Amino acid sequence: MKVLIIEDERGMALEMEDFLIKAGYLCDLAFTAKQARQYMEEGPYDFILLDLGLPDKDGLQVLEEAKQICQEASYIILTARGKLEDRIKGLDLGADDYLPKPFSLLELQSRMQAISRRKSGLKDNLVSLGDFTINFSNRIALFEDTDVGLSKKEFDLLSYMVLNKNRPLTRMQLSEHIWGSFSDDDYDSNYIDVHIKNIRKKMTEYGPVDWLQTIRGIGYKIKL
Amino acid sequence: MKLLTKLTLTSTLSKIATVILFIVLLPFLINRVAFQSTNGLLKQQAKKVMDNIRNNGIDYYLQGDSTYGSYTLLKEEYISLEKARNIYNEDTIQTAQRIIEGDTVMYRVLNQAFEYNNQLYELEIGKTIASISQYNSPLQKIALYVLGILIILTLLIELSFTRILLRPLQTIIQTKLINPVFPFKEAPLPIPTTTVDFKYLDASLISLMNRIKEDFDREREFTSNASHELMTPIGILQTKMENLMLLNDLEEPALEKIMEMMKTLNRLKKIVHSLLLISRIENDQYARQDSIQPEKMINEIIEELQHRLEDRNIRMFVSLQPNIILHRLNHDLLFQLFYNLINNAIRYNKENGSIDISDDIAPDGSYTVFIKDRGIGIEAADIETIFNRFRKKNAIEGEGYGLGLAIVKSIADYHGIKLKVDSQVGMTTTVSVNFGKSSSL
Repeated sequence: MKVLIIEDERGMALEMEDFLIKAGYLCDLAFTAKQARQYMEEGPYDFILLDLGLPDKDGLQVLEEAKQICQEASYIILTARGKLEDRIKGLDLGADDYLPKPFSLLELQSRMQAISRRKSGLKDNLVSLGDFTINFSNRIALFEDTDVGLSKKEFDLLSYMVLNKNRPLTRMQLSEHIWGSFSDDDYDSNYIDVHIKNIRKKMTEYGPVDWLQTIRGIGYKIKL
Repeated sequence: MKLLTKLTLTSTLSKIATVILFIVLLPFLINRVAFQSTNGLLKQQAKKVMDNIRNNGIDYYLQGDSTYGSYTLLKEEYISLEKARNIYNEDTIQTAQRIIEGDTVMYRVLNQAFEYNNQLYELEIGKTIASISQYNSPLQKIALYVLGILIILTLLIELSFTRILLRPLQTIIQTKLINPVFPFKEAPLPIPTTTVDFKYLDASLISLMNRIKEDFDREREFTSNASHELMTPIGILQTKMENLMLLNDLEEPALEKIMEMMKTLNRLKKIVHSLLLISRIENDQYARQDSIQPEKMINEIIEELQHRLEDRNIRMFVSLQPNIILHRLNHDLLFQLFYNLINNAIRYNKENGSIDISDDIAPDGSYTVFIKDRGIGIEAADIETIFNRFRKKNAIEGEGYGLGLAIVKSIADYHGIKLKVDSQVGMTTTVSVNFGKSSSL
């Protein structure tokens, strides 16, 4: 998977690159609209991550032009301006998703994966997890062919951890994924524990869940 | 009262006062004029008689007799001339009774004494009072008619002219004060008028409006820039910490430290987020075009908060009318408003407590949602300040940043929603959210 990161804040761009490379993506960095244009003309990309606040050109205009050059790519708009109309215009112009800054890199990757799944058009999007199978299309966790009966929120939690496997996830990161901007750290992390307990309980009835690890004082990790 | 109404009233009342004064004074004036002109007439006649005597001798009248008297057919006027005793009377004009051929009649009488050939004579000329006043009443009538017509005419002219004069003021009020909805989309145009005062007023209003618009635009620009300037470094820090956490060789204490940093950063992020939200609301950056069903929205929020309710074993009783639809609101902001209120009702509740959510349509058509919790309550003295920013009352250590209710207040003000808080300490707190009539049903 090839990603073009168009972001004028170097600190930000480098962290994104660092994270995505570790996650197995190939990354190019462009700090201006001009550089971005050169990269886009050179090669096809699977993802173009576009910051709207570029110094040399209006971000939405860049998006419009980019859509002409890299038609196959998926676009995610990143912006710290927080103008509501930007979001609407961006999606109107054909962006696949929109992430307001500051965002979590984990969230960014999970959005990218969601777009890939959507675009790949596979009927069943399956990931195996120990003796279990996670079906992202139907949003169910299976043991052999039996639904283990996770609730909506429990599935959300589990699938987010599967997407971020082998990474320690804090309760805060998990609750932010589930409740978004309404998450309340001091308040909801408790409930993450309850959810995890329920997930363990439901799945242990079918098979071992030793892949789901607790990191004391931090949170949880799925180790595969 | 409108200026035009006031001017109309003043003008009408002053005219009525004039008419009344005129009616009261008129008989007196006319009488006075009639008597004065009669006095003049009598004096003229006396002078004529004296001229005749001087030219033709006293016998022109007396013809040898000692007295002379003559009166008109209806006894309206009379003249008498007689020798007088030797008392010399001053000339007088007075109203007096005279008996002529058995009739007692009131006369205006001129007495004049004069000497002729060493003999004193007294001349008396009279005119009946009735003949003096005979024109009074028709004169009064005509005067009243003329006055009435003049008054009505001037009143009409004045009123229509006042209306024309005040028209620019009406236009100013309409186009500068009533019609414009903040924020102003278009630059205000000057109104045509030749009245300097109105020109000045209009120009002042235009300059005020322009200044507000400029400030407003600057504020909007600032919010956008501040958002960028604040969120970018937070974003960089967050991604750096996330990457740091993914390093393989980290010991647990290091992980914990990073997590604490992330928590703190998250707190900072939320404060900035909330302040920007309030700033954007106050800067009118949200459209108010959505229709919402409060019952549906509140149930969605409760579902969203279900885990917090379960966590503290709080029971929720919802009794809302399902067919209510509110118009001209912003869906996301209203969601946030109810979310914050219900979240507070949970947060400041007791373990195993309860929350009642109900609604009501007042007889005047205004719709109100009541959120009542049986929690810790709020001191009466604190109720006024709970909507202030960064007010942290009764908060458990580390909980809340004092902006939730400030956001609620901003959203309410933005939509013209009235908030009311009633509380009994240690018992209940009820927040009423009154949508007024405009957005109801």
